[in-house]
Amino acid sequence: MTTLKAQCPSCAAPIEFKAGSSIVIICPYCRSAVARTDRGLEDLGKVAEIMDSESPLRIGLKGTWNNTRFELTGRAQLKHELGGYWDEWYATFSNGWVGWLAEAQGRFYLTFFQPLPKGTTLPSLGDLQLGQTIDQIPSQTPLMVQEKGTATYVAAAGEIPYKLTPNETVSYADLAGKNNSFATIDYSMDPPWVFLGSQVTLAEIGLGDAKPVQREARTVTSDVMRCPNCGGPLALSAPDKTERVTCPNCNSLLDVNQGNLSYFKTLNPPPSQPDFVAPIGAEGTFPDGNKYKIIGAMVRSVTIEGIAYYWHEYLLYNPSVGFRWLVHSDNHWNFVETVNPADVSNPQFYGAGAKVVYGGKTFKIFQDAQAVVEYVKGEFYWRVEQGETVRAVDYVSPPQMLSLEMTQNEMNWSLGTYMTNDQIEKIFGVKDLPRPWGIAPNQPFTGSFYYTWGFLPVLALLALAIIMIPLSGLTRTVLNQQIQMPPLQNETTPQAVFSQPFEIRGNSNIRISASAPVSNSWADLDVDLVNEQSQEVESVNVPIEYYSGVEDGESWSEGGQDQDATLSSLPAGKYSLKVEGTWQNWQQPMPVSVKVEQNVNRGVNFCCAFVVLLIVPILGLFRKWSFESTRWKDSSFGSSSSSGSDDSDDSDDSYSSDDD
Amino acid sequence: MFKAIYMIIAVGVLLAYGTAAWFGWEFANAGSNSRLGMPFIYNGFRGGK
Repeated sequence: MTTLKAQCPSCAAPIEFKAGSSIVIICPYCRSAVARTDRGLEDLGKVAEIMDSESPLRIGLKGTWNNTRFELTGRAQLKHELGGYWDEWYATFSNGWVGWLAEAQGRFYLTFFQPLPKGTTLPSLGDLQLGQTIDQIPSQTPLMVQEKGTATYVAAAGEIPYKLTPNETVSYADLAGKNNSFATIDYSMDPPWVFLGSQVTLAEIGLGDAKPVQREARTVTSDVMRCPNCGGPLALSAPDKTERVTCPNCNSLLDVNQGNLSYFKTLNPPPSQPDFVAPIGAEGTFPDGNKYKIIGAMVRSVTIEGIAYYWHEYLLYNPSVGFRWLVHSDNHWNFVETVNPADVSNPQFYGAGAKVVYGGKTFKIFQDAQAVVEYVKGEFYWRVEQGETVRAVDYVSPPQMLSLEMTQNEMNWSLGTYMTNDQIEKIFGVKDLPRPWGIAPNQPFTGSFYYTWGFLPVLALLALAIIMIPLSGLTRTVLNQQIQMPPLQNETTPQAVFSQPFEIRGNSNIRISASAPVSNSWADLDVDLVNEQSQEVESVNVPIEYYSGVEDGESWSEGGQDQDATLSSLPAGKYSLKVEGTWQNWQQPMPVSVKVEQNVNRGVNFCCAFVVLLIVPILGLFRKWSFESTRWKDSSFGSSSSSGSDDSDDSDDSYSSDDD
Repeated sequence: MFKAIYMIIAVGVLLAYGTAAWFGWEFANAGSNSRLGMPFIYNGFRGGK
């Protein structure tokens, strides 16, 4: 095919097929889809005008992919069977390639027609299972079925590289793989066609300078459109994306169809009046650096063991990056964004102990329940309605939570990141948000410092103790003498005997040991260390007693014939011992052996310091245990999953607000 | 805040331990004129009388 100038068969206006690959051109005057065939031009029917969009792309934009230049030459808008639109842009490359650039919810996917090897048969649409890997498609990474559905071509513009029939409905399946790989199987063809490529950023395809159309939120006035139920005006923040909107005046849920509002139903009153903390229309810059606006809010619930648990979700929108979610549950907050399903390890099962891996982190299953939409307010990019139910499976690895939402035809993984109240208050410029209660499933524990770094002083103590042993020297005996105590005059009057003098060094502790041959008796010794220069006296009491016997055929003993007492260091100098005592058999002499040692490695100081330093780490560990117990108490899989739970990461200062 | 307080206390304990080890002070001792004055842990046997 070559460039062709002709007249529109419908309105006779001049039309021109600029791209050799173009099959259909949309007449810019009458919006007829005109196909060029071997027999001439064929009028395929009229298409609707492209719906007003905030897309940063437009026909005529030029970019580069893999060092090959391309130009956007056509565009089609498709409507999802469940509502919602997406755009397909057609990129005509300088080397003759044709690329399909799909734009949906702020994401871009560039794919190319991929012929399959001869004899390859793809599963039929009905046989495809969500999560199934399609090995027949030659791709560098396995491709997994993410969604299957039908869509209708509702609008088009420019030149189209295939025979686009207005209002034709096509069946498709979207597949995702690691490293942003992406593929679509078009089941409108027989055999199905495969388009293979990847998710791209505009910068990657040389369109980084493309900016979204900036405009004021469109207010539907009574002259143009009004709520079909009450006539009140509506403001749409994302008119090109919105599928459902609630009327703030009459609480009606309205369908949005290419800018036209139609009454769908009146919302049932919620179980309790929803108190949305964040108002619709509020804007703020989130941790990903993008500014989002709240355009919708909903109340959702799960029912577990007959008890319904409610939470709020806010739909955030930025024309450049698409949609995100802000989840508010028990006054805990999570910023949620969708992730590539192929980047999540496929869960083998959903029971207790199930785990998935994403981004190198292991997430443990926390909840598996049916999530129900209870109430909605504002705008939504799909046909939301009360009672809408999905299977929701949550996996946690604080501060993140992976959530899988499954319907019959679609599975979506999203990643929630815990945010503190302080962060939310800062984002929206508000104060005094209600404080959270309980422990959120992915709330990070902020006290790990005390049982991680908190053990550092304990290790330092061990190191210090090891260093001090050689520094202080080995134990040294300065006196070892046998003293014969003469019999006492009476039971209570002690006898005193002095030892030979000996030298005491300074800065060394002193241990005085005494030994007496008591047996089923006692001896109570008072030992004085007398400094011979200053006559200062340091006294210790050394009681010795030893009892033994046989009772019921078993021998027993209590006490011992040796005892000691330890003193702190004394000034260096010459000392002697004054041993004074009484003993049970006072009429008999008492031989006493005394020994004085210095530099004794006693360990009491170490043990005291060790215990003191352990208090905080042990309390920290107990607090962590208590925290995790509380967290998993709310889980359906608590008992099995809580064991060996990961240490929550509090290295990020953003979660350290309550660390004290 | 508590982190800083804990670390200050911990450093204090380490300094106290190191100082006591260097100067031969026994935190728990049996001396009548104890330098630290707190013979609250006595390692000798008591009782029997």
